Amino acid sequence: MATGLNPNSDGLQAGTISPPGEVVPALAAMSVSKTFSGNRVLSDVSMTLEPGEIRMLLGGNGSGKSTFIKILSGYHHKDEGGEIRIGGVPLPDASAHGAHQLGARFVHQDLGLVEDSSILDNMFMTDKFPVRFGTVDARQAKQRTNAALAEVGLDLNHRTLVRDLTAVQKTGVAIARAIGLSDEGSIRLLVLDEPTATLPAAEVEQLLTTVKRIANSGVAVIYVTHRFDEVFELPSKVTVLRGGIEVLTTDSSDLTRDDLVAHIVGSEVLEVVQGTSGATFAKTVKPVLRVEGLETPLVSGLSFDVKPGEVLGFSGVTGSGRELINSAVFGATTRLGGSVNCDGMEIKPNRPDLAIRAGIAFVPADRKIHGGLMSLSARENISISGLNKFWKFPRINRKAESSDAIDWFERLAVQPLGAIAAVLGSFSGGNQQKVIMGKWMRLGPKVMLFEEPTQGVDVGAKAEIYRQFSEASAAGSALVISSADVDELVAVCHRVLVLRHGHIAEELTGADLTVVNVTRASLVTSNSDQTEGAGQ
Amino acid sequence: MSTTKRKFNLGMARFSGLYVWGIFIIIFAIWVPKYFLTMATASSIASAQVVTGVMAFAVMIPLIAGVFDLSVGSSAIMGSIFSVSFQTQYHMNMWLSIVLTILIGLGIGLINGFVVVKLHVNSFIATLGMGSIVIALVTWECGGLQPLLPTSLTWGNLTQAFFGGGFQVGIFYLVALAFLLWWVLSFTPAGRYLFAIGSNSEAARLSGVSADFWIWSSLACSGFLAGFAGVLFSSQTGPSLSFGSGLLLPAFAAVFLGSTQLTPGRFNVWGTLLAIFVLATGVQGLQFVIQAPWLDGLFNGVALIAAVAFAVSRQRSEGKRKDIKQNEMVTIESPSSLDESPSVELNEALNHAAGSGAE
Repeated sequence: MATGLNPNSDGLQAGTISPPGEVVPALAAMSVSKTFSGNRVLSDVSMTLEPGEIRMLLGGNGSGKSTFIKILSGYHHKDEGGEIRIGGVPLPDASAHGAHQLGARFVHQDLGLVEDSSILDNMFMTDKFPVRFGTVDARQAKQRTNAALAEVGLDLNHRTLVRDLTAVQKTGVAIARAIGLSDEGSIRLLVLDEPTATLPAAEVEQLLTTVKRIANSGVAVIYVTHRFDEVFELPSKVTVLRGGIEVLTTDSSDLTRDDLVAHIVGSEVLEVVQGTSGATFAKTVKPVLRVEGLETPLVSGLSFDVKPGEVLGFSGVTGSGRELINSAVFGATTRLGGSVNCDGMEIKPNRPDLAIRAGIAFVPADRKIHGGLMSLSARENISISGLNKFWKFPRINRKAESSDAIDWFERLAVQPLGAIAAVLGSFSGGNQQKVIMGKWMRLGPKVMLFEEPTQGVDVGAKAEIYRQFSEASAAGSALVISSADVDELVAVCHRVLVLRHGHIAEELTGADLTVVNVTRASLVTSNSDQTEGAGQ
Repeated sequence: MSTTKRKFNLGMARFSGLYVWGIFIIIFAIWVPKYFLTMATASSIASAQVVTGVMAFAVMIPLIAGVFDLSVGSSAIMGSIFSVSFQTQYHMNMWLSIVLTILIGLGIGLINGFVVVKLHVNSFIATLGMGSIVIALVTWECGGLQPLLPTSLTWGNLTQAFFGGGFQVGIFYLVALAFLLWWVLSFTPAGRYLFAIGSNSEAARLSGVSADFWIWSSLACSGFLAGFAGVLFSSQTGPSLSFGSGLLLPAFAAVFLGSTQLTPGRFNVWGTLLAIFVLATGVQGLQFVIQAPWLDGLFNGVALIAAVAFAVSRQRSEGKRKDIKQNEMVTIESPSSLDESPSVELNEALNHAAGSGAE
């Protein structure tokens, strides 16, 4: 890898001329900040990476790591004042092209591969196919593909379709595509954003080998992860971000797992006290929802139950299996096995209509895709699951339907108030979420399932949604909340089940239910990793 | 539907069809008053559009649920042939023939529904194939010859008898059907469910709407109405082995054009009727002026493309405004959704008007 040289010939001016012999850092970020509409999400973060260095980047939800990476990749503008140099050359602000030219490459969590195309086709899809006389030069394309694969240590046939690869092979192909097609020595920085989040544990080792190999060739690597094992397996430095501030940068060998948890969570954890927190549910109270032996692609044999009025949380990092629990219980996604029983009614898999009849409501994570009828009015969205109440031959009672919708707009403080005829798509994220909550709450469900209930929701709407949680719980509904936001779970739940590798790793209630404990349970892989089902 | 208030350069776009209609009438009234401004012209425009109108409604119902039915043309051909051949070849009672024919149409729709819902074949492909099969079977049944017309006057009088104000009775069937559909689509849960499925079939399913059942039903209705359209055509002009396919395009054009009218962004009964008569008036007027046989096709083709382009561009500009809003928000690390196909964007662009629905 060239050091001290400036390989750029594309008009990007070198800011400094380094003295001969001194190593130019692959990445030098100085006091980088980012403010979104008055809200500072990244402040004065600095980071220097030498060529060949591996840097683990850790941080909880909202810590600013994604924002930092998006600034590096040219997706976001950074605030005035900071500076980023790649290989000694200043990075133009918010220019993906500039970042690419300076030799920065990014592999995101969803790899951006086309499953039905061959490895070779995927290789050149983001680049240019080598062309000869107007047709693809197959021989050259093949050679370059094989060279790129070899660079990351993969031995695969270029004709293989991506969908036939294992998860780790796909990640490898994405990395090969990112770095393998460029000229030797032109790549300075590779950013891997949670590359192992969805990898089976057994395949992680292979990826780490690849990462080491790349680093050895002189490329600096930023490695974002939630998995602690990897932090200690790679010879690396660790940077922890919290609340947009860099709280720690040190060698991984100087750290213990508990240190890491403490830094990620912070010392002064704000315990949001709320009235119902710590309430215990008498053993004699019968659970309203019983889930036994639930099987989804990511979890197996999961059992839990919820009592009326109880707020149960599911925590766990991406890939832990937390994501699909609620949707599989409701029938939104395929349930491969296990039984769901709501108040004595057995619910068949993949039958949301039966689940609703049994008294279950489901607020999915992705409003646009699963939650709302974006091209229909808010009124129609609110009434859709319970039209029978307004239907009396020969017509739907529009007046009653409207006043019901207005009622829910007021109860949930939906803005703009009274705009029940506006199409759902025209509302802001937080208000869409409130409309969808209203649609369910008017049915008076026995069980309400939430996935990422406050994702993409502003602070005000968030408070309103939390208030509705406690009202619904006080009214006797059982709530099951699956969220990536640990603060949220600790604030609103009576009990939290933490998932790790598809199993319930820990059950936290009462005084044990703290941000530190939940975070530790979701991150730390202890040797005594038990797979007991929770439930009382 | 009339309650849908939107900030949408009021009136101009919503009622543009009415204005255009008015302009057509004025232009041709001045240009060719002798031919155009007669009761006969009004009556002939009206009765010539009865079959197109019923076909358009047949197309519209599944489209509301986001499903195409391209077999309506063939089902209508079936209707025109069978309703007559049952009478003249099999000597059945007229009413029995009509009922039987329409039931066969319903059966075709039910099979379409089965293929789309149970076999998960894209509706476009399923109904295109079914259309071809139906034509083949009808041709086989009648040996490639158009059956003889019934001799009784009653058959023709079913649609051609004159009725109040110099209009043929056929047009009243169309109006009655329009009222019936308007009621179902705007005032009953069935209509709500269809629109919900068309808006987002997965979200509708997760709201407890049996998307499969309603998609199936919409295709059944479509087959039923297509059979009925065939009967009407046969009564008006006699059985034909070719007319149906030619009416497919005008039917779709009317429905899409109609979705830009009155309640923009939604397929609707009165917008569809309006579109049909605007197009028919324009074509008829121009026929008086330049007597060109190709006018009809040109008009309908342009109208179809323009209508969809307009609907899509409206939706895209709405989408853009929302994207800007969302970028302003603090980015959050979201778990990637596992089951979304890569063509979401493409689908979204067409969804409201023409999403391929059930997948």
